Amino acid sequence: MTTETAEQARLTAVLLQHEVEQFYYHESALLDAHRYEDWVFLFTEDTHYFMPLRRTVTRRQLHLEFTKPGEMAFFDEDKNYLEIRARKFATGTSWAEDPPSRTRHLITNVRIGEKSGDELQVHSNFLLYRTRLKNDLDQWVGRREDTLRRTEAGLAIAKRHIFLDQTVLQSANLSSFF
Amino acid sequence: MAETKVADQLDSLVSLERGEIDRRIFSDPEIFDLEMKHIFGRAWLFLCHESQIPRRGDFFEAPMGTDNVLVVRQKDGGIKAFLNTCSHRGNAVCRAEEGNVRNFMCTYHGWTFGLDGELVGVPGSSLFYKDKLDRSKHPLRKVAQLESYRGFVFATFDETAPPLPEYLGATGRLGLDLLAERGDMEVIPGIQKFTVKTNWKFTVDNVFDYYHPQITHMSAFALGLIPAPPDNYMEGGAKSETGANLEVPFLPTDLHNVVMVGEYGHAISGPDQDALEVSTGVEPFAWRHNDETQARLGRHGSRVAGHPHIFPTTWVTAGGQLSLRVPREPGVTEIWWFSFRDKNASPEENAALLSSHIHFFGPAGLLEQEDGENWAQSTLQTKGLHSREVPQLLKMGLGTSEVVKDDGLAIIDAPINEHAQLWTYHSWREWLRNPTWEELRERTVPHDRF
Repeated sequence: MTTETAEQARLTAVLLQHEVEQFYYHESALLDAHRYEDWVFLFTEDTHYFMPLRRTVTRRQLHLEFTKPGEMAFFDEDKNYLEIRARKFATGTSWAEDPPSRTRHLITNVRIGEKSGDELQVHSNFLLYRTRLKNDLDQWVGRREDTLRRTEAGLAIAKRHIFLDQTVLQSANLSSFF
Repeated sequence: MAETKVADQLDSLVSLERGEIDRRIFSDPEIFDLEMKHIFGRAWLFLCHESQIPRRGDFFEAPMGTDNVLVVRQKDGGIKAFLNTCSHRGNAVCRAEEGNVRNFMCTYHGWTFGLDGELVGVPGSSLFYKDKLDRSKHPLRKVAQLESYRGFVFATFDETAPPLPEYLGATGRLGLDLLAERGDMEVIPGIQKFTVKTNWKFTVDNVFDYYHPQITHMSAFALGLIPAPPDNYMEGGAKSETGANLEVPFLPTDLHNVVMVGEYGHAISGPDQDALEVSTGVEPFAWRHNDETQARLGRHGSRVAGHPHIFPTTWVTAGGQLSLRVPREPGVTEIWWFSFRDKNASPEENAALLSSHIHFFGPAGLLEQEDGENWAQSTLQTKGLHSREVPQLLKMGLGTSEVVKDDGLAIIDAPINEHAQLWTYHSWREWLRNPTWEELRERTVPHDRF
């Protein structure tokens, strides 16, 4: 009986892991196919999409490495601003993405943490590879800390904090989503 | 181009009369070296704001040309700045961008420097040096002069440079006043830094360019992020790739600009405040609508809603940010954004301000994400053997504007124009001649007509 319960728990964990990973693959596919408005649909109404600034600091001051909400950031978005950004691409005059970038979102190291109620904490790593025009190449690597929430429509992103591995950004813009 | 050759050709590189610039100035490596020497090696350069280093031992690493300097809050509350290079073997004595320390220690051999840059520790001083090394002779190399203007810290490598307020002149001081007057200002933690494959001069030129927003930032207009009155679209002029007329927003023909050009190359250019408010129907500058502020800005300064620029690379925005355009290579520039807030503002005001800081400029900014690609493409084309022979045009409004000199300012009232850009390149050329400060000042006294 005990064995069966433990096995059941493992199976549940595997299924959840599968579900979360499939969710991320679906999300990545939407972005790489330029389906930004469908992508925004994956976020809850109260979402917080945040990419702080990272600073090169000494190990002793590592707690100051990232800026916090209320300080400067690259992205500090509510659902409304995510919608604005998605609509911007659709104007036909958003030149930083017209001609469009080619992107590939690679999501790895998906680790499911604390579960409470209908929410899940999920950490993952990403590689966002982007080429633009004839020979522009940008690559961003980092990690994401998400809160996923179970809604009637399926999993949704209630919080995404994105931690880039670069301090001085090695690209002319961040006109892609992470 | 060899140095002598560049010196001979300076007059043909920039022509105020024709409104033409030689594109080679954006990619020639020898011109870049001359800029580092004659401009960045001499000018007063913005390092940081005092609020970034409030406590003893706080430091911020800032660029001065191709050098990196550490700006450090001293034990006595003063500020010093010195090159981030060990006097022994040259290693950087600090590899963090900002933080707080008691000492700077070189991780190569352990030479240790105090907050004032003095050499205070040499491992094995008696064993290896037999106590013969005179520590007082090997401090970190200090900048020649450092001064603050209303909290903005500047330094120069030239000990003969005039004092900062004199260097800034009425135009440069007004540029900084337009930020300082907003309240008890401090930098919001976090300096956005990003890299664009462009020559730094394109990023400066763009500061004064009110001709590009209607096209470059068209998507931001479409989203209502930049207010434009609904009936203020101009048809024609631009045609889309399918041949259709583009309805171009903004820029009502009567949008009035006020331009100020000053000695050493400083300039302010952009819409007159009243014109902007009338044409867009919004009132974006509440902070300045009181008698005290108006009096401090002066009757001309209080009309300015455009972009002040301190030569060579410091831009103050209308929204309360300061951008530094940091040259790294002829074709590589870092953009740094310092974002300010009033210490006494309410949490609601701060949140709204932060949102506008994040959503307008910076690499993810809904405006600026469009700019970098323009500058990079312009820079790329200056490398083509034949493309670089095509002159760069700055003819808008050329020869049509009178200059009124009043209150120490040289003021031009005109519709959208390219006077400030042309003034920047003119001053740039005079700096490259490497004149004395007196000569430079004389040669950058604004003309009577533009």
